[in-house]
Amino acid sequence: MNRFLSLFLTSVLPPLLFFALLVLLWHLGVVLFDIKPFLLPGPLRVARAIADHFPALLYATGLTGLGALSGFLLSFAAGFLIALLFSQSRIIARSLYPYAIFLQTVPVVAIAPLIILWIGHGFQGVVAVSFIISLFPIIANTTSGLTSIDPNLLDLFAMNNASRWQVVRKLRIPSAVPAMFTGAKISSGLSVIGAIVGEFFAGYGTDDFGLGYLIILTNGQAKTDYLFACILFCTLLGLAVFTSISLLSNFLLVRWNGGED
Amino acid sequence: MKKLLLFPIFLLLLGCGGDKAPPTDPSLTRVRLALNWFPEAEHGGFYAALEHGYYRQNGLEVEILGGGPDAPVIQRVATDAVEFGVSNADDVLNARAQQAPVVALMAPYQINPRCIMVHAGSGIERIGDIADITLALSQRPAFSHYLRKKFPFTGVTIVPYPGNVTQFLMDPHFAQQGYLFSEPFVARNKGGDPRSLLVADVGFNPYASLLIATEEAVAQRETVISAMVRATVAGWEQYLRDPQATNRRIHRLNPEMSLDILAYGAEESRPLILDPIARQQGLGQMSLERWSGLLEQMIEAELIAPGAVEPGRAFTTRFLP
Repeated sequence: MNRFLSLFLTSVLPPLLFFALLVLLWHLGVVLFDIKPFLLPGPLRVARAIADHFPALLYATGLTGLGALSGFLLSFAAGFLIALLFSQSRIIARSLYPYAIFLQTVPVVAIAPLIILWIGHGFQGVVAVSFIISLFPIIANTTSGLTSIDPNLLDLFAMNNASRWQVVRKLRIPSAVPAMFTGAKISSGLSVIGAIVGEFFAGYGTDDFGLGYLIILTNGQAKTDYLFACILFCTLLGLAVFTSISLLSNFLLVRWNGGED
Repeated sequence: MKKLLLFPIFLLLLGCGGDKAPPTDPSLTRVRLALNWFPEAEHGGFYAALEHGYYRQNGLEVEILGGGPDAPVIQRVATDAVEFGVSNADDVLNARAQQAPVVALMAPYQINPRCIMVHAGSGIERIGDIADITLALSQRPAFSHYLRKKFPFTGVTIVPYPGNVTQFLMDPHFAQQGYLFSEPFVARNKGGDPRSLLVADVGFNPYASLLIATEEAVAQRETVISAMVRATVAGWEQYLRDPQATNRRIHRLNPEMSLDILAYGAEESRPLILDPIARQQGLGQMSLERWSGLLEQMIEAELIAPGAVEPGRAFTTRFLP
């Protein structure tokens, strides 16, 4: 059996079969209990909604995905720099870390309107909200990775008169890569949520719309089948972002552990 | 998002019967009325009927349940979680397009209070002339889609409705949706220069603050329905005559609504409720012509598929006194 076939059978087929079973139960439930579409649409209705609105759904997913990706990349860059700063100065870390935690605990729906007021509507507002939500896991995980170094290795570097920057470049950063990617995987999902919540408040121009806009629209107009279609696309987007980040991190980790210098 | 959590609850409610608490007075029928927003002047007639005892006089013990943003009125009525609800005509048509069996029983507002609030200093006198500004519109209701289809709105950036007048006060090139006697009143109080452009004036005029119930209730609980409609019409007539006691009640329930704004709301509502049609045919009347017209507009704005809704089945006037 070649690799792809075995990969398909072990990793892809079981979740697909489970999904098929869920869809079957869902359909039976809707039919047997005569549940009306405005309450819970059956899978056939949702499929028809997807078919009817496919271009719109695709466009919206793309726009939301772009917002999420931008927010994520920004949070990865900024989070890395902040974590680097924290790893170099304990007093800065102690002063500022609680505020990083604030990013984690403050309810997004409460601060999003404020962010929009300061940064503006449209793409920049969406990216800003996505950025704020994705930031903390990067900071937390990267800081942890940069500071949890084997003391023996630190001694080794000290014995060889390594400069602070050399320690950072050749010891801390390579050691932190696994932790960084853990943070990245967490943030990738959050960045999608952030983009959608951002769209609730930031909206876009007259004819531009992301998944957040479609969710508000379909929700308010009781178009529950279309709403379910949007949710499906949101989920797929989150899955796509998460999978790409995971694949990228696995690839880079293999390369890195090969001994970059 | 919260609505998704309510779905399993509604499914449970479908299975449950109606094991309600026993009424305080066994001779009265207990019913609940779900509002579509926080208690405000737009619900004045319902509270007036409660305040002045009209519901009791007609054999009903009515509990009014306040709503808020995203209040799932249609879902609660359609699943028999509550007996009556307050909604607008465009929401009723959307619901019926999704096979929710709700029916409108009476329409207090013959003229919908929806308006676009612009700066008086902007020189904009008609909705069709709006151009080169930022316009905050919610995409939930039908009117924003209708307006966007009908008018070019050149150079206009549409942003979501913020729920307050802060941006309007800060930015002279900002306009937003509003209700005739809410946002403009608040903006003026805070020193702004609002000008209200009524959406009904451009031809989009869904009935507002409708009393709704299910098709089944209309068919099988005629006495209760009849009593509710009768008392509610009397309540609205009373609210327009003298809203003071009712407004005090609403203010207690919703302190955000000052007595000033409620009094203003009651006053400004009079021409919207007692328009020439209501004066001639009675408060609360509805016509097939208007329901069909609204349906046509919503189909044109691509909100409802053609043939999905029979307008005649969305309402009934047979309980109106």
